[in-house]
Amino acid sequence: MTKKAKRDTTLTVLLIIGMIIFLQVANTTFDSYEKQVLSLMAIYGIMAVSLNLVNGITGIFSLGHAGFILLGAYTSALLTIPSEQKIAMFIIQPPSPLIANLHADFLTATIMGGLVAAFGAFIIGFPVLRLSGDYLAIASLGFSEVLRIFALNLQSVTNGSLGLKGIPNYTNVWWSWGWLVVTVIFVVSLVKSSYGRALLAIRDNSIAAEAMGINVFKHTLLSFVISAFFAGVSGALYAHWLTTIDPRITTFGPTLTYYVLIMVVLGGLGSITGSVVGAVLFAFLMEWLRVFEQPFTLFGRSFPAIQGMRMLVLSVLFVVTMIVWKRGIFGRSELTWDAIINFFKKFGKKADERGVGK
Amino acid sequence: MKRILVTLLVILSISIFAEIRIGVLLPLTGGISAFGDWTKKGIDLAHKQKNTVLGEKVTLVYVDTRSEKTEAANGMARLTDKEKVVTVIGEIASSNSMAAAEIAESRKVPQVAVTSTSPLVTQGKKFISRVCFIDPLQGTALAEFAGKNLKAKKVTIFVDIEQDYSISLTNYFVERFEKKYKGQVLKVQYKSGDQEFSAQIAQALSFGSDAIMMTGYYNEIALAAQQARSMGFKGYIIAGDGADAPELVKIGGKAVEGLYFTTHYIPDAATSKLGKDFVDAFKKEYGTLPAMNAALGYDAYMLILNAIERAKSKDPVKINDAIRATKGFQGVSGTINIDKNGDAIKTVIVAQVKDGKFVFASSIEPEDLQ
Repeated sequence: MTKKAKRDTTLTVLLIIGMIIFLQVANTTFDSYEKQVLSLMAIYGIMAVSLNLVNGITGIFSLGHAGFILLGAYTSALLTIPSEQKIAMFIIQPPSPLIANLHADFLTATIMGGLVAAFGAFIIGFPVLRLSGDYLAIASLGFSEVLRIFALNLQSVTNGSLGLKGIPNYTNVWWSWGWLVVTVIFVVSLVKSSYGRALLAIRDNSIAAEAMGINVFKHTLLSFVISAFFAGVSGALYAHWLTTIDPRITTFGPTLTYYVLIMVVLGGLGSITGSVVGAVLFAFLMEWLRVFEQPFTLFGRSFPAIQGMRMLVLSVLFVVTMIVWKRGIFGRSELTWDAIINFFKKFGKKADERGVGK
Repeated sequence: MKRILVTLLVILSISIFAEIRIGVLLPLTGGISAFGDWTKKGIDLAHKQKNTVLGEKVTLVYVDTRSEKTEAANGMARLTDKEKVVTVIGEIASSNSMAAAEIAESRKVPQVAVTSTSPLVTQGKKFISRVCFIDPLQGTALAEFAGKNLKAKKVTIFVDIEQDYSISLTNYFVERFEKKYKGQVLKVQYKSGDQEFSAQIAQALSFGSDAIMMTGYYNEIALAAQQARSMGFKGYIIAGDGADAPELVKIGGKAVEGLYFTTHYIPDAATSKLGKDFVDAFKKEYGTLPAMNAALGYDAYMLILNAIERAKSKDPVKINDAIRATKGFQGVSGTINIDKNGDAIKTVIVAQVKDGKFVFASSIEPEDLQ
């Protein structure tokens, strides 16, 4: 057993080293557009993994993810924008002196963004987590809308509907993928700990879990707060990737939550590796499918460009995926080293049987 | 199969050979796709009329932003890095233009925004310019019109707190109106998507306002106008360019009759030969009169071609210098001068709704707004 654990750790370390090499290569050979999409994949990955912790692993259906992302984005952005930029940008109402003079480096700002989001989750968790099912979904959705309306109206703090611009472009592939690794390792260790087992028990049957002596409220609040922390981090990375944010419904509205939900469900509700794969696929397809919107020539005939084709293809792909894999690509299971090794073993066996390897 | 591949390669190589690629970043799907569509029509018409510059063919590369910020940033990166365009036209919404501008700035590719009127769009940027006037100019023009032409003394302003456009329009209106015309202003708030305005209208009536100004978009303007008229409001109703959509009359019906709004362009105001030719060509091509977005899209394209001719180069930086140095460019929406910030200084047109049609009422020159 310990031998197996050792093997898994070694393989994980090797994977991370391999990833570092890949990112280094990508950083030097990819053009900036590809690097931008690569960063976005990791940002979406953090969003998906953190939502999965609540929706898939703890089994409470929360729709308030965009609210926590917004908290993280605004907190970190206000910390990293230089104060001259703030004064130039707040044209309707000057920034409150407290906001104008705040400054921090990117790492501190990101962690602060996460902490503020976690604090928001802690406050809101008390009333909301007493609800269950659809009620909780609606309450959390309402909460994220309330946060957006706050951002819209607190002119001297958030610059209202004008939004923030000129956020330093700090997010690169290192920051985003680095934070994704941290998120995945943290969530995986959490799930493997006694807390995680308790969360899984709550998901499967909360009454039985309570009868077994698990404090359901405390545990769900814990997962809610941790999920919000990483959502806040992803918001910070997103803000410094996009360099301008605003409280518009298309930026931090329910659509963002739904996008993240799509990634989670696509990958498999409850599967962490599935969430990462879902997010990477989502970001990749969204950009790659643009080829369907360009005029193209097929067998010597030229076809005009059809705008919106991309979304049609994407939707069809998702529907087909959900028909083939009813519980998402990975279902509830994880992509573990065991599974990979077994797959190759089986593959090798089959090859042997067919006599290919000889 | 081989033959097909060879044919494809030949087609590709011909199309790559000697061409100038111009990117167009527009919301062709999503919430504001109607505006994107009008703009595309204008640009397509311009491209049809003039598709060579410096002896090379101009190719347009359209990229959809789905009316979203993330997509605007990614779309711009795709245009500059993958499609290798020399200039980009777009976006329409200020917030999307801002997200794209950051990318254009770092790649040193000029961007020409179409109807992004927020003053923040060009602030501190060297590579984004625009062919429309900005909110401060429009707000000031509205104050000038209300004070001078309508002789209004008490104005109630309906502010859409979700739209930065509405907020900055209000601010610059109040500044001018209170200072120059010593008028009184009452601000009432609403939110995009609201249907019920009776509370705000009651406030406006008890304030004794002789004009109501709506600074949001056509949908709410039409609904509020209907309710104001049915509650017995007899004064003027004025609005910004957010009112400029045929839907205003469709929703508002008789209630929006006589409504004044400032805008960038109406076909009716075209007096120059250039303007009239554009209206005719547009009618012939699409069977309808051009909307404001179509005219500005047309102008953006022509202005870029003009700048490329002046720069005598395909180098994006040189093209950008030429765009920024534009003086007295004759567009179909009027004469365009680009100032040092990249903003267009243009005539503000005041239109009025008459018998369900938008007609020219007055125009305000930028010199009068100093």
